[in-house]
Amino acid sequence: MRKAMKLCALALALSFGIASLLSLSARAETVAIVGGTAYTMTGDDPVENATIIIRDGRIDAVGAGLAPPADARVIDAKGRIITPGLMAGGTQLGLLEVGAAENSVDTSSNMDTLGAAFDVQYAINPNSTLIDLARADGLTRAMSFPGSAAAPFSGLGAIIRLDSGADIVERAKAGMFARSGGGHASAVGGSRSGGWVLLRNALDEARRYKKRSGPGAPRDQLLNHLDAEALQPVLKRAVPLAIWAERESDIRQAVRLGRDYDISVIIMGGAEAWRAADLLAASDTPVILDPFVNLPSDFDQIGARLDNAALLQKAGVRIALAASGWGLKISYNAGLGMREAAGIAVANGLPYIEGLRAMTTGSAQIWGIADHYGSIAAGKDADLVIWSGDPLEPMSTVITSFIRGEEMALETRQGLLAKRYAPQHANDAWPAAYK
Amino acid sequence: MAGSFISLTAGRLLFAAVAMLCGAQATASTFSADPYPSTYRPLPRHDTLIKGATILDGAGARLDGGDILVRDGRIVAVGKTLPAPDGVDVIEASGRWVTPGIIDVHSHNGTFSMPLTTIDNEASDVSETSDPNSADIWVEHGINMQDPSFSRALASGVTTQQILPGSVPVFGGRSVVVKTIPANIVSAIKFPGAPQGLKIACGENPKSHYGEKGMFPTSRMGEILAMRRGFLAARKYASAWKDYRSGKSKTAPERDLKQETLAAVLDGDIKLHVHCYRADDMATIIALSDELGFRITAFHHATEAYKIVPLLREKDICVAVWSDWWGFKMETLDAIRPNAAFVDAGGGCAIMHSDSPQVGQRLNIEAAKVIGAAHQVGIDIPPERAIRWLTSNPARALGLEDRIGTLRPGRNADLVIWSGDPFSIYSHADQVMVDGAIAFDRSDPKRQPVSDFELGRKPATGEH
Repeated sequence: MRKAMKLCALALALSFGIASLLSLSARAETVAIVGGTAYTMTGDDPVENATIIIRDGRIDAVGAGLAPPADARVIDAKGRIITPGLMAGGTQLGLLEVGAAENSVDTSSNMDTLGAAFDVQYAINPNSTLIDLARADGLTRAMSFPGSAAAPFSGLGAIIRLDSGADIVERAKAGMFARSGGGHASAVGGSRSGGWVLLRNALDEARRYKKRSGPGAPRDQLLNHLDAEALQPVLKRAVPLAIWAERESDIRQAVRLGRDYDISVIIMGGAEAWRAADLLAASDTPVILDPFVNLPSDFDQIGARLDNAALLQKAGVRIALAASGWGLKISYNAGLGMREAAGIAVANGLPYIEGLRAMTTGSAQIWGIADHYGSIAAGKDADLVIWSGDPLEPMSTVITSFIRGEEMALETRQGLLAKRYAPQHANDAWPAAYK
Repeated sequence: MAGSFISLTAGRLLFAAVAMLCGAQATASTFSADPYPSTYRPLPRHDTLIKGATILDGAGARLDGGDILVRDGRIVAVGKTLPAPDGVDVIEASGRWVTPGIIDVHSHNGTFSMPLTTIDNEASDVSETSDPNSADIWVEHGINMQDPSFSRALASGVTTQQILPGSVPVFGGRSVVVKTIPANIVSAIKFPGAPQGLKIACGENPKSHYGEKGMFPTSRMGEILAMRRGFLAARKYASAWKDYRSGKSKTAPERDLKQETLAAVLDGDIKLHVHCYRADDMATIIALSDELGFRITAFHHATEAYKIVPLLREKDICVAVWSDWWGFKMETLDAIRPNAAFVDAGGGCAIMHSDSPQVGQRLNIEAAKVIGAAHQVGIDIPPERAIRWLTSNPARALGLEDRIGTLRPGRNADLVIWSGDPFSIYSHADQVMVDGAIAFDRSDPKRQPVSDFELGRKPATGEH
C-alpha cells in the first residue's frame, strides 16, 4: 500500500517534471527565423534578409544575414514580413464571451462598494475563444480594461499575455480606468461636470487617507477604504489613470487633472484629441485611440476625423490603438480590428512605421512593459509574428506566431468550423458533427 | 362632369377612379403602389471618358488599361482605347481602378442618425417597436436627411443604399432604396421605380425585446407563429380584394395597411429581406415560404449561411453578411470570416452588407477580410469575383440588376474611380459618379458634400 503510494507520488512528481520540462523545452527551443523583412521597431527601416535568433524565450540576436546557430530550428521567412507580436492598447479579452449573455460577461461591476477598487484580474479566462482568435490574428499582449458600469471610476485593468498558459495575467492593476463625457453624465448626476468633481474629490480623499494613520474616515467621506487604497498607486504615479474622454473639453480637463494632482494620465478614445494635440504633446499625455471613428456618433465626437492619429503623431503625442468598431472589434476581433484600424490611420496620413509602432512599442511604452516587450531586440521577450503579407492589409494573415519564444497553435473555433463546413464537404453523406 | 360620373357609378367604381387618378390601387400591383413617388433628379453632369483604368465590371470580368465612356448619365461603352468624342471630359485613370458604385443593401442611415442622443434610447427611428407586426410602417417616413453618415458613405464609393427598418418587430416594415446623394427631402433621393422591401426578423431580437416586456412573442416559436398568422391573414385579405375586383363581392374590403404589405410580398411585388443568423432559423423561414407561397429575396446577417449553401442556392436566396462580426449574442457564435466565400464557391449569391455607418464606409474592406480568410482555407478569390459581392449581387437583391451593379452599356453610370486596388486598406475612392454626375471628388472640396448638421461647427474635416 505504502509502496503503491510512493509509486504514485513518484509518478506524479515525474509527470509534473515532464510537464514543466515540456513547457520549458518549448520555451527553451532555439529558433532562427531567416530571410524575412523584419520590422524590429528599434529604427524606422526594416532589416532585410533578417535573421532573428530566439533562445530561452528571448531574442538572442537580430541582424541581416546572420548565420543561424547549429542547434536552432530554422524557419525560412523569405518574402515574409516579421513584426513583434502586437499589443492592443485596450480590449476586454478574457472578460467576456457572449456580450448578450450576462452570465458570460465579467467586464464591469455596478456595486456601489466597488469603484476604483474593482479589479478585473480575478475574472480573466485564458480559455476564452476570443483570445484564440486574437492570437491567430497576431495579438500577443493586450490591456484588458474594466467596463463602464460605475462612475466616474471603472476600476483596474490588467495586461494579459495571449499565450497558452493557465495564468495569462502579466501584470494586474496595470491601469486605473475612469470615464468622462456626456455618455456617462447620467451616472454622475446628469452633468459631466459632476464627474470631474467626483474624480478630483476621490484623489483628494485618497491622498488624505494615506496621511491618516488611525482607522476611520471623516463621516462624510465618499470613498470607502477599498477605493481609497486602490488609488494610492495612482497618486504615486506607479499606475496611470486612463480616462475615457472624447470631447476636447474633457481631454483638456483630463490633462489639467493630471497636472493638478501630479499623476500620470492616459486619454482613452480621444475622438477630438487632435484639437488638443499641442497640449497633449507638451504634457506628454498619450492617447489610445480608435482610428475608425470619423462620425459624430454623439455630441462628444463632433470633431471626429480619420487623420486624428496622423495629427497627434505629427504633434509628438504618443499613441496606441483600441479599435472599438462600436464594440464589435475591441474584443471579438481584437487582432484584426486593430490592424484594420492601423491601416486606416496610415491610409490617412500616419507614417507606416508609426502605424506598426502604435501596435507594438507604442502600447508597450504607454502601459509600462517596454522594458521586456515590444521590439525585436536582443534580450526582449521573443513575441514575433510572421505575416503572409503587409500586416496592415486586412487581407493578410498570420503564418507563425511566437510568444516568449513558444510557437503558438493558431487553431480557433472559427477555423475548425470553416474546415468542417468547407465547400468540398457540402454533399457528404455523414452529418458535419461526425467531422 | 365629375359629379355626373360619380352619380353613374357605385362606390366601387369611385374607388377605382380615385385609385387611377392617384396612380395607385387599381392595377396588379395594388398592394405595392407607391403614393410617395420619387422626385429624384440627377446632379449636374457632363459626358465623360475615363481612360486607362483597371476595370472590374461587377459581372466577374477584369479589364486592364480599359476605358469607359459615359453619356447622358449612362455607360455607353467599355473597352480598350475608346475614341474621345468631342466635348467630353477626359479623366486619366491609369494606375487607378474603376468599379461599379457600391450598393449597400442594409443601411440604417437617416434613422440610426448621427449624433445619437438619449432620445434614441427611448424612441429611435430605426424601428417602430410598439407592435411586433409593424408591416405597415414605411421607413422612408423617418429619414433624417442631415445624417452625416450619408456623405461618409458617398465618399467611400457607396452609390445606392437600401434603408431597412430595424429587427425588433417580427414584421419590421417597408424599406426604401435611395441614391447616396445629398438632398433635403427623402423623395429627392428615392431610387425611381426601385421595388420596396419588407424587413422581417427571426431569432433573438424580437423575442428578447417583447419577451422582456411580457408581450408576444417570447420565443422563436412565437415569432414563426406571428409570421404564419400574418401571411395567412394577408392571403385572405388579397382574396377579398380579388373577389371585390372581379365583382364576386359587392363591398370593398376596408384597407388594412399591414395586410397590404404582406399581400404585396405574396404577390412578389415587395422583396422579402429576412434578418436571420442561424442555419436552423433560416431553414425554418424557407419552409414557411414554401408553406405560404412567398419568396425570400435575401437573408441578412446570415452568419451560418455557410452551413446550408446548397439549400440557399436551390431556393435562389441571396445572403447579405459581414466579414467578422461574431460572438456578441448567442445566435452569432458560429460566424466565420469566409462565410461569403463559401456561399460564393457553392454557387450562391453573396453580398457584403453594413448595418452600421462605420462598416458602410468600407464594404470593400469587408470583402478584403473575406478574401484573406478564404485564402487561408484554400479558396482563392480574384478581385473581379469579389467585387460582385458589393455590386451585381446586391443589385440583384434589390431587383435593380438591369440598371446598376455592372459596368455595361446601357447601365446607369454609377461608378467609383479608386486610387488603387479597392481591396487594399490604403486605397481611397477618388471620384464617385452617380448617374454620370461626379457626386464626390476627393481632390475637390467643392465636390464633398457637408450636411447641414455639420455646418457651423468647428471643422471636423479638411485641414485644421
